Amino acid sequence: MPPPPGKRAPDPAETEASLLARAQAGDVSAFEHLSGAYADRLFMLLRRLLGDRSEAEDVAQEVMLRAWQGIARFQGQSSYFTWLYRIAVNEASRALEKKARQPAAASIGAYELQLPASPAHDPSWQAENSELRRALGHALAQLPPTLRTAIVLRDVEGLSTQQAAEIAGVSQAAFKSRLHQARLRVRAAIGDQTLVTTGG
Amino acid sequence: MGMPGRVDDHQWSQQHLSHYVEGELRPRARRRLDRHARECVDCGRGIRAMRALVHAVQGLDGIAGVRAPATIFDRVRLAGAGGSPSSQNT
Repeated sequence: MPPPPGKRAPDPAETEASLLARAQAGDVSAFEHLSGAYADRLFMLLRRLLGDRSEAEDVAQEVMLRAWQGIARFQGQSSYFTWLYRIAVNEASRALEKKARQPAAASIGAYELQLPASPAHDPSWQAENSELRRALGHALAQLPPTLRTAIVLRDVEGLSTQQAAEIAGVSQAAFKSRLHQARLRVRAAIGDQTLVTTGG
Repeated sequence: MGMPGRVDDHQWSQQHLSHYVEGELRPRARRRLDRHARECVDCGRGIRAMRALVHAVQGLDGIAGVRAPATIFDRVRLAGAGGSPSSQNT
């Protein structure tokens, strides 16, 4: 999309700080360039938290709108990525809570949750793996939003505890507690025998 | 974390398997769980299960490589036409 009259196109080498300053001054193009760097990753996070693609698309638009509306107040106390991810987690939680109040609560689609292929491509391993994948998808979908967010940020996204806690908006101790609770629930739902025989 | 030798070792160990796998237990607590797990089949399997769980969840990459939709900035563009972000309500 070409920049509107009076707005210059972002230089590919332009720094995040410079783009942020321009976005805070009202430059939509700079905001898109700044946030666009994280758009794919943010959308994947929303897919993992929400499951449903069309809902993730809707929430992603809302996240960007919220970020645009709040960018003038962004003080740089965290990284821009952390700030944007925090908005995404809040919006996803809001959407999940809204869905939970509806009679037929949808869950994360297990079809989206895939484990890496076995190097050996052993058919029996694939079958067991597929079973574990379904069980994991179901167990994650049953978690309350705060616990699901903890396990997705830390274990699936691979963020550090410090960064994940900051995004979740809680202390590191509280985040660890949520993560351990989430793991205990998923472990209980799947069963040790299944995990040991197919997940190792 | 509880102190070694106090309360029920098995119940305590089961509650701390995730901390153990994460490497978050203090040395004394880690030794307590190690000692118990050597004698307890359930807790030994629990450690392996928790490690397998973390490994499996880390491998949930089925949607890796998904691209954000082209419409992701549509609402921003609509709002942006109305003025600078600082002049808008959140």
